[in-house]
Amino acid sequence: MSEVSDVPGVRFGIAAALAVLIVIRVAAQEKPAEMVGGCPAEPLAFHACALQKARTFNPPRTPGGKPDLQGYWRSRLTQAFSVEGVPADEPLIHDPIMPWEAAPPEVIDPADRKIPYQPWAAAIGRRGVNFTQYVDPRTTCSTAGIPRLALQDANQILQPWGDQYVLWAFEDHHNQRVIAMDGRPPVGPAIKTWNGLARGRWEGNTLVIETTNLNGYNWIDDAGNFYTDAVRVTERLTLIDPDTIDFTATFEDPKAYTRPWTVAWALVRAKEPGFELLEEACREGERSLDRIRETTGMKFYFGEPWRGR
Amino acid sequence: MRSGLIISVVALIVLSAGRGAATAQTVMPPRTPDGKPNLQGIWQAVNTAAWDIQDHAARLGVPAGQGVVEGNEIPYQPSAAAKKRENFANRLTADPETMGYLPGVPRIMYMPFPFQILQTPTHVAMVFEYDRALRTIYTNGTPHPMGPINWWLGDSRGRWDGDTLVVDVVHFTDQTWLDRAGNFHSDALHLVEHYALIGPDHLRYEVTVEDPQVFTRPWKMSMLLYRRKEPDLRLLEYDPGQLLFEAQAERERVKAN
Repeated sequence: MSEVSDVPGVRFGIAAALAVLIVIRVAAQEKPAEMVGGCPAEPLAFHACALQKARTFNPPRTPGGKPDLQGYWRSRLTQAFSVEGVPADEPLIHDPIMPWEAAPPEVIDPADRKIPYQPWAAAIGRRGVNFTQYVDPRTTCSTAGIPRLALQDANQILQPWGDQYVLWAFEDHHNQRVIAMDGRPPVGPAIKTWNGLARGRWEGNTLVIETTNLNGYNWIDDAGNFYTDAVRVTERLTLIDPDTIDFTATFEDPKAYTRPWTVAWALVRAKEPGFELLEEACREGERSLDRIRETTGMKFYFGEPWRGR
Repeated sequence: MRSGLIISVVALIVLSAGRGAATAQTVMPPRTPDGKPNLQGIWQAVNTAAWDIQDHAARLGVPAGQGVVEGNEIPYQPSAAAKKRENFANRLTADPETMGYLPGVPRIMYMPFPFQILQTPTHVAMVFEYDRALRTIYTNGTPHPMGPINWWLGDSRGRWDGDTLVVDVVHFTDQTWLDRAGNFHSDALHLVEHYALIGPDHLRYEVTVEDPQVFTRPWKMSMLLYRRKEPDLRLLEYDPGQLLFEAQAERERVKAN
């Protein structure tokens, strides 16, 4: 015990000073960092941390010995306003009809966290021509598209007997993708589809899904970011603990981008008792699209800004 | 008289023997590792039920067809029979399927598009090329959720009765038809479906249709589903809603130019 601490007044003074310091420290941090699966939720930091965790996590297995990803999942984000991020001073955050939320970019590569558009394409995506002149295809009850489906609402992975297919079902507009795991060749490039045709394989404990034959009629996010019908999307799903998947999607589209680029986010197991996907009939109940188009003059998308390039 | 009786008895024995042979074929369906019949694969109805589930002559663009309704008659209540006739007269625009809506169950089972069955220990998933639809049949012993719920494809809970998958389906809308010919139901529709392999590539599909608001008694449809065996065949996509919008967008583009 020092002499100083034996003096009551001084002791109180030290305690008070410490308390003030603590308050200042807490206030200085913007928010406690949000965590998911023991990793920071911010996409770039999450993916870096998840890669480390995946090295040591031994996932449960299907009867066929494959990593068992089955169950109900949700992204932490539930909405992609812009995969390039939404800054805190974004005016759309105060939009009375469709308010955006501040969010870090989901783009983790390239380092500037921006989509490496060719110049003509940058003017169409990134709240350009698409955003200002066309109705978001998802609003027309089309599919949210690849990989945006994995951001919207809940989804379910099933790994049927035989490990020949993985079924990925999405609550959003009753969507599904059948991922062929049997090493089959791709179908001809003239066959175009909204959700693409997916072929998968296991690389270690990672489910790798290659999707081609996309018609490019979907957007990547609400900001009108896009790919064309030349795109190949490669998704990677890796369990990093029993309830967290590290999800990435890499876009290669020589028509629209200068190089491949990648987004990442976490998928978290939906664990509510009795949870099931519900039927979301979209088109069947859609009543506002005509009014939206009449009042705003917005057009149907169908890839018009890039078709013919 | 007496010899006639003997011949009948002999005929009965022969018939029974034939039936026994048919049963013997169904004793050994391919099985999943949990011992259930393996229904996995891509299947398709090869009949004309999507246009008309009853016997019908050819119409423009519609092949003639032998119906799939047992006995061919549908026991409509009198007011419902009048509604069916009205639906038929207006079918080219009144059929909800022409609007690109989910076609309902059982109609989606006999749309002229392939569908794929995938099985896990707790689910039988039916994935459809038409409208990217999905039927999830829970075989985990869970009951239907509490209604009232109006789902376009209803809520399906299944169980195995021997080698037959029996699916109970409720919670429908009154917005789907059973075919293009205007056969319809209310949201009180209750279906019991039976799926049984009768050979490696043939699946018998039977469905009992019950709807006390429309029919005077339950009635039944029966048909075969055929395995699509083309190598590397996979489901593609037919998105009726988007194809309708695409045509509309093209009209608007032409008009604007």
